[in-house]
Amino acid sequence: MKVAGGKLIKCRMTVRTGIIVNIKLSGDFFMHPEEKIDELEEKLAGCPLDEKHLRNICSPFFEGVELIGATPEDFIAVMLKAHRRDN
Amino acid sequence: MEKWRVLIHGTGDAFTNMAIDEALLISGKPTLRLYRWKPSAISIGYFQSMEEEVNLEECTRQGIDVVRRITGGGAVYHDERGEITYSLVCPQQMVPVRILDSYRLICTSLAGGLGVLGIEAHHAGINDIVVNGKKISGSAQTRRYGNVLQHGTILISVDVKKMFSLLKVGPEKISDKGIASAEERVTSIEREVGSVDERELMEALLKGFQDVMGLSFHEGALDTKEREMAEEVRKKYVSREWNFKR
Repeated sequence: MKVAGGKLIKCRMTVRTGIIVNIKLSGDFFMHPEEKIDELEEKLAGCPLDEKHLRNICSPFFEGVELIGATPEDFIAVMLKAHRRDN
Repeated sequence: MEKWRVLIHGTGDAFTNMAIDEALLISGKPTLRLYRWKPSAISIGYFQSMEEEVNLEECTRQGIDVVRRITGGGAVYHDERGEITYSLVCPQQMVPVRILDSYRLICTSLAGGLGVLGIEAHHAGINDIVVNGKKISGSAQTRRYGNVLQHGTILISVDVKKMFSLLKVGPEKISDKGIASAEERVTSIEREVGSVDERELMEALLKGFQDVMGLSFHEGALDTKEREMAEEVRKKYVSREWNFKR
């Protein structure tokens, strides 16, 4: 998904019975510190794939990182869109 | 004011080039490094998927190396003759605290350097330098160990058709129309002012940093510790584990 900041966010995930089993987020955005992305993916594994639960994980996570070229909302939107597309 | 070190590194392979940049970041000595890639290579951003971005079969066929950077941003084709890469490293306190501000400062310095060659370039967006709205340079930055690394490419000449054959772009981009459209969005030093001697280009870039950031330079070399560190971290850049991690 191309986001307003001009960057691209891609999402690959396995979802079973509405729960994220594993997820990989990729793209040409900037996140500082970079390795925090692994932490986000670990936190998202096991999360029910709905806006409320995604927000509960993403909101505190993104307070601790600096995102450039995308917003926390973009990440939530990408995950929801990927899920809708596959269902 | 402390003099910055300039490293003129000529050509190196993708893994060595990225290893040296990381070794410089760990060391943190104020440094501007200018280099090229041999063989030509694709570098992808930290968060990108190698398989999704790069046409690996075509890279193998054409002898193009592929490597993941420690910086975010997009995939870049580093042509052996068609571009020059810079990297700038210094302690964080020597650049603006806000990452966007530091992009602006460094990109404005580079644009000033292009100005010395007669190219009217300026910083645009987050991390680009443009000439009449056409991209001539893209950069990426990371901050670790209290230091900043920003590296980026400056196009000397551009072969969009070759670039698109190596990157996974949609069929619409590979069409003649797509290539023509991309050629309208990018430019290069040669397209703007014709052929420029490499030494002249490097000196122009240094002048840009002198004028905008007030830096002065002396030509130097990697120290022993940095060389050893580069050898050590090169192992990571060669590894499949790193390059295909996402």
